[in-house]
Amino acid sequence: MSLPFVRILLDRVVGALVVLCVMVAAIPVLVLFLFVIIKGLPGILTPGFFTQSPHPQGVPGGGVLNAIIGTLEIVGIGSLLAVPVGVLIGIFLSEYGRNQVGDTVRFISDVLTGLPSIAFGIFGYSVVVLTTHHFSALSASIALAVLMLPVILRATETALLLVPNALREAGLALGAPRWRVTLEIVVPAALGGIVTGALLAMARAAGETAPLLFTAFGNDIVQTNPLQPMGALALTVFRNALVPYPNLQDQAWAAALLLVILVAATNILARVYVRRIQR
Amino acid sequence: MMSGARFVAAASSVLLLAACGGNTGVTNPSTGGPGVPTPPAASLTGAGATFPAPFYDAARFAYNQKFSQVTINYQSIGSGAGIQQLIKKTVDFGASDVPMNASELASAGGSDKVVQIASTLGTESMAYNLAGVSNGQLRLTPKTIAGIFLGTIKNWNDPALAADNSGVSLPNQSITVVHRSDGSGTTYIFTDYLSTVSADWKTKVGKGKSVSWPVGQGAKGNEAVATTIKQTPGAIGYVELAYVLQTNMTQASLQNHDGNFVIPSPEGATAAASQFLAVNPSQFSIVDAPGKNSAPISGYSWLMLYTDQPDKTKGTALVDFLDWLVTDGQQYAANVHYARLPSNIVRDDINSLKTVTSGGSTLLSVPAPS
Amino acid sequence: MVPTPLVAASHQRPLVSGDRVFSVIAYGAAALIMLIAVIFIIALFIPALPAITKFGLGFFTSRTWDPVRNQFGALTAIYGTLVTSAIALLIAFPIGLGAALFLAEDARLSLVRGPLSFLIELLAGIPSVVIGLWAFFILTPLMRDKVDPFLQHTVGFLALFKGTPTGYGFLTAGLVLAIMVLPIMIALSRDVIRAVPRELREASLALGATNAETIWSVILPYARVGITGAVLLSLGRALGETIAVTMVIGNTMQISASLFASGYTLPSVIANEFTEATGNVYLGSLFYLGVVLVLITIVVNVLARLLIWRFSGSARASA
Repeated sequence: MSLPFVRILLDRVVGALVVLCVMVAAIPVLVLFLFVIIKGLPGILTPGFFTQSPHPQGVPGGGVLNAIIGTLEIVGIGSLLAVPVGVLIGIFLSEYGRNQVGDTVRFISDVLTGLPSIAFGIFGYSVVVLTTHHFSALSASIALAVLMLPVILRATETALLLVPNALREAGLALGAPRWRVTLEIVVPAALGGIVTGALLAMARAAGETAPLLFTAFGNDIVQTNPLQPMGALALTVFRNALVPYPNLQDQAWAAALLLVILVAATNILARVYVRRIQR
Repeated sequence: MMSGARFVAAASSVLLLAACGGNTGVTNPSTGGPGVPTPPAASLTGAGATFPAPFYDAARFAYNQKFSQVTINYQSIGSGAGIQQLIKKTVDFGASDVPMNASELASAGGSDKVVQIASTLGTESMAYNLAGVSNGQLRLTPKTIAGIFLGTIKNWNDPALAADNSGVSLPNQSITVVHRSDGSGTTYIFTDYLSTVSADWKTKVGKGKSVSWPVGQGAKGNEAVATTIKQTPGAIGYVELAYVLQTNMTQASLQNHDGNFVIPSPEGATAAASQFLAVNPSQFSIVDAPGKNSAPISGYSWLMLYTDQPDKTKGTALVDFLDWLVTDGQQYAANVHYARLPSNIVRDDINSLKTVTSGGSTLLSVPAPS
Repeated sequence: MVPTPLVAASHQRPLVSGDRVFSVIAYGAAALIMLIAVIFIIALFIPALPAITKFGLGFFTSRTWDPVRNQFGALTAIYGTLVTSAIALLIAFPIGLGAALFLAEDARLSLVRGPLSFLIELLAGIPSVVIGLWAFFILTPLMRDKVDPFLQHTVGFLALFKGTPTGYGFLTAGLVLAIMVLPIMIALSRDVIRAVPRELREASLALGATNAETIWSVILPYARVGITGAVLLSLGRALGETIAVTMVIGNTMQISASLFASGYTLPSVIANEFTEATGNVYLGSLFYLGVVLVLITIVVNVLARLLIWRFSGSARASA
């Protein structure tokens, strides 16, 4: 069967365009990675980057220890708040949520997912900072927890729904109460998906800047007290990028590379974990 | 809480540097010398002006070395923000290049509830990014500065600019004006200056921490204005001197009140300040000062704290630090291109700090050397 | 929709106390997220009241943003938000759709498809501040020295491309947003296209249509609703993006026809001015902007999800 030339030509053109599109989409990613690695690597390799706090403006050297500790602690506390609640809501949705209450929860969760990240910052400021009269890591953790919640609960629900009903029925047939079936059979069977969801949520939270601006606020000193203002890697990138001092700008690139590594590692960890569970 | 004990000494310029590396290690002497009170352990948070930020940054670093039990977190978020956060009581002290005005004081509970002290003296530069025009080569008059920021002078080869710059080859290039996007004391001092020297500016725009800019693009903080100018050929903006000198930007010679062209310097700020002896939180403008060496766009920067400190320990640490900042701490000003406070201002500051109390008792223990 | 689990039948079983406690805990968790939603609304709305009562709906039509005279309007920021998002979609829609067609459909270069998908997923995970950093230092000089002058040279007669390019402004911000929404656009469209029933595709090819014709007359019409949903979700993301845009938009309260001009968007105004707003009206106006932003994104997102639901419903029905 031979097609008219024009139709073949058109087909080829569309085929080429589609390839072009995917290349155009991939180029920015490659360029971005390239620059972050090239510009960030020297800073990361600078002695003191991991062990020192920032030096005063205009004084060379210094590190981002304050921000590394801050990011870990803020995201850590946020996860402690969000993961248990998110998993519980996910269990509710899959095991009890085939009703209007469940639909409402799903709707709220979807709305929260779509909200701009700056809105969570306003939330944290309005609810925590203004009532406690202090910028604090905790207010940032709470803002991030609300941001993480929908990711975790949806991942949990999806994972739980994938557990075959035969498992539930087998458990119930053996006379186990429903809560034990859920906690001891269904949840463990879905653990891979739940952990993945939690890890992805943590990766997203670690990279967020806007929710931290009016909550964690930033701190150039190593601070571990969650009731005090605290630095964070994302804040370091944002603030140092705009500062005219070369050593601080280098730190911005290095902190950016560190963030990207952190986020990528968490993502890969999540994938690997899923594979291991699935085996 | 971080006690910052292990120090990795890093000698750089005159500043003695230290990096906090954990809670272990060598113990540090935490008692002050004669005349310097030994503060209690506390963690203080301040926020505000970016104009004096390099000075505060250097000073708080040095103070933490002297007294490792006190850590001070200063975030340079702009003067407007500093005042606002003090009113909201989210910080222990606020910083602004413009003292709080009546309505701001009212929001904070009244003028007797807040103590405002001058902390340092600085000056602003007109920094620019023009290939082939080196530092100090560009000469600007009050009229041309106002023209550029009003948008009536749009190109670097404008005749008005050429008239003051014979011998300088100004390119045929559009001027990109960079100004602050946040509420800023640097902006206040600059627009105060423009309102003083240009009737046009006074009626069309006026002075304030934020104004409706006729032209240009905004950047947040002195830092970002400096960075944006460095990034953008043809750009000009007003930046605190420290940022200009520390990052090797090019700045213009400015014509002062007496008609002399001066390159802004700490000495120029001191000369300007010497023309205005009675400075206080309601009478603080020193722009367009007479005198042949005066830098025209100079100003004090201020710190604010509540007269009645809720937490006695924290309050004591705070006044002790501020007392040190306006006395011994002034030595760190010169390193980062600020001028020392005049002695009459220091005296006023200490008298103000003596009025700070907690539970009715005065917090500033040791009378500082005059 | 997922089939109702059979265990739902166990409702008939008399609840032992453990089950009751557990269901109370589960319902409690569900109630918690509703409580959070309510607090969220209150936390956003109450502080906005001083501005809402002072400016009312006039807020939306006023171009003034004058902290000195305490007069505020949202029009400039809304304009900037819409313009940058529109640029983002104009760029991301065709490229994203093309890339999605390749990733979902194309049999060629199957070796690179996996890595390409992975790469684009990685882009979705890159923090926006990192993209902002890259855009600020790498993209703005490139725009100023190469792209903008080229546009001015070729289509400079349009009002869109007049003025002096500084590298900052609507066009650069729009481009950054395009890069940021591409992964969403691609991933969602790819899933939508994959959901087109195989039989339809094969029938078209069997009838002698070329790949291009199949795409044009079978796949795209079928996936239209779902793709619209993907575009809307991308829009939702673009409207609310804060940090990366703040770093390149130029932060100036102005409405300008030129895409080279600096501007402002709703989230960047909030990010820049939130901590410094003096007085209830100024702060209230920023909260008011927040309310506007949240409402717009909710409407766009809900619409998008409805469309995608409708699509996946119809896809399943005909599968």
